[in-house]
Amino acid sequence: MQQLERECRAYTRYLCGQDASPYLIEKYLDFHQKLGHELKADSFDSFLVRMSACGGSWVGLSDSYARILRKNSVLRKKLIVVLALLECTPPSFEKLDSVPAGGIVGAVLRLAGTSARFVLTSALAVIIFSPARLWMTSREH
Amino acid sequence: MDPIVVVGSGASGVHFALSCLIKGHSVTMVDVGFTGRQPSLPTESLLGLKRNLTDPVDYFLGPQYNSLVLPGHEGEYYAFPPSKEHVFRSRGEPEFRANGFAPLYSFARGGLAEVWTGGCYPFDDQDLSAFPFEYKRLEPYYSMVAERIGVSGTSDDLKATFPVHGGLQEPLDPDAHSADLLAAYLRRREYLNREMGCLMGRSRVAALSRDLDGRQACNYSGRCLWGCPRQALYTPSITLAKCRTFPNFRYLGGFYGDHFRMDSSGKVQSLVARTADGKEEQISAGTLVLAAGTLGSAKIFLESVQRDTGKAPELRGVMDNRQILMPFVNLRMLGRAWSPDTYQYHQVAMAVRVKESGELIHGLITTLKTALIHPLVQTLPFDLAGSASAFRSIHGALGMININFPDHRRQDNYVTLDTATEQHRLAIQYQPEPGEPPRLAATIKTFRKILWKLGCFAPTQMIHVRPMGASVHYAGTLPMAREGGPYSCTEFGASRDVAGLYFADGTTFPSLPAKNLTFTLMANAARIAEEAF
Repeated sequence: MQQLERECRAYTRYLCGQDASPYLIEKYLDFHQKLGHELKADSFDSFLVRMSACGGSWVGLSDSYARILRKNSVLRKKLIVVLALLECTPPSFEKLDSVPAGGIVGAVLRLAGTSARFVLTSALAVIIFSPARLWMTSREH
Repeated sequence: MDPIVVVGSGASGVHFALSCLIKGHSVTMVDVGFTGRQPSLPTESLLGLKRNLTDPVDYFLGPQYNSLVLPGHEGEYYAFPPSKEHVFRSRGEPEFRANGFAPLYSFARGGLAEVWTGGCYPFDDQDLSAFPFEYKRLEPYYSMVAERIGVSGTSDDLKATFPVHGGLQEPLDPDAHSADLLAAYLRRREYLNREMGCLMGRSRVAALSRDLDGRQACNYSGRCLWGCPRQALYTPSITLAKCRTFPNFRYLGGFYGDHFRMDSSGKVQSLVARTADGKEEQISAGTLVLAAGTLGSAKIFLESVQRDTGKAPELRGVMDNRQILMPFVNLRMLGRAWSPDTYQYHQVAMAVRVKESGELIHGLITTLKTALIHPLVQTLPFDLAGSASAFRSIHGALGMININFPDHRRQDNYVTLDTATEQHRLAIQYQPEPGEPPRLAATIKTFRKILWKLGCFAPTQMIHVRPMGASVHYAGTLPMAREGGPYSCTEFGASRDVAGLYFADGTTFPSLPAKNLTFTLMANAARIAEEAF
């Protein structure tokens, strides 16, 4: 329970920069109670989830790694669950729906910035997590 | 005199019934009739719902999170909203065994059109070339249905393929993105008409721009996707409610029409319907009208023939519109604000004559406003925080074209009865035409080019060819023809196999143009009621 709550808090801050409300945590726990069986994790998946729950940069690194090498991983699913909860609830939905200032130029610059940041984070994530994955995979076999 | 017994409360059934009731006939409607939730906080806008509902997650994602789309989910971009889950609620029995076809069934009050997007596109003479009548004969019924349900639209370039009938209300206010696309079309109109065979204009939608018959006009609350609390967006359950105000109407909800029985002369005698707990009831029916949807009506017919003769035939020629979903980004709209307080479904329509195939293809453009964003955000090529952030800049620039292809009756495609299980199922066999892949490829290329000319970009990796059956535009199993043999019906929907039996739904369509057929289903059902009863 504490681990799930930690995940929810870390992912909420990561996705929209806000603190998770008690309602959001309640719903996150409810999802796991009802559909947790759909989140079957192998040892590396569990490792990514544990790392991401540490919060801070670890969420971004774990997520970047998952985005390029474990697209359908449990971590991605958990993050999508939180995103879906955030887009339905106040005040986070207003943040997710807001359009940043700057018009088309601002949008293009932001997209370029997001791309560059993702490339760097992904490279770092691959360096950090690949050895762990190799070790876990070899141990499983 | 026995009442006319109608099976099914979908778009066809309710308009057939209403016309009969107005003419003074007695009607009994047999229907499973699942219902959904009542709209919450009816005076709130969509944003008001998110702010003020005590359990917004339950409302938007459902108590079992069925509207959540997780990574690894193949196929559609969206799940149905919780308020519409009842439309696809199962009876608890397998309904079909299908090969090459992924059908959707509904036992909801109002049928499959309870989840339609309101497109009302009349068939023109070319579309009706295989039908035993022309547009002129159907036009009064299009006008009649438009007056009943409220269709907003206008006479624009699309009138060349979508005839303008009576009963149209003024078009709804377009959202900023739709208005931008229409303006871009007007700037490139000559080129698009001449070189691309492309016509564009306002969608015709069954949504009210003026109050009608106790229903309130659209107030742009942004709630369309989750169920309009003002009933501005038409669904057949609205007409069913109207039918129920007639003293000569009887609604038998909770009954599944299973088969009919005939007398020794081969005339229909009664309908056998079952309740959820398996109890059978025999309903006397001198005249039986099947309007349970193409697959539902075919199943009742096949089950009855099988019980009578010991053998079920193959009903050949089942059709459906192939659909392609093409998401796109309007480059001019990048970084621009979008308003949730707009009509949410398609507001722009296209008719494109594809040069390579010669086919007329119909496209419906829906711009992204209040639909849930998590299914799309996860497809962006960044980490999720980056994707959510980037999405804020492109939200107002996103749209999707739903491209519809025509279909024709082909002998290889049929439905029959699978008697291998205790509860018989419908067996559906469907195979696309061998020449379909190049046809689809040419159409995709044409639409991407048109979008580019409109200042939009459609990434190829996001284009989704929906499986056959996904459009739920099923038709053609017992087609109308002036002269025909067994397993067909007359132009009045009367079966040529069983006296006293009528079909008033898509079963009777001898061809399927690239247009949403629902409006024509309603008009044709009203026509059969007016002309044959």
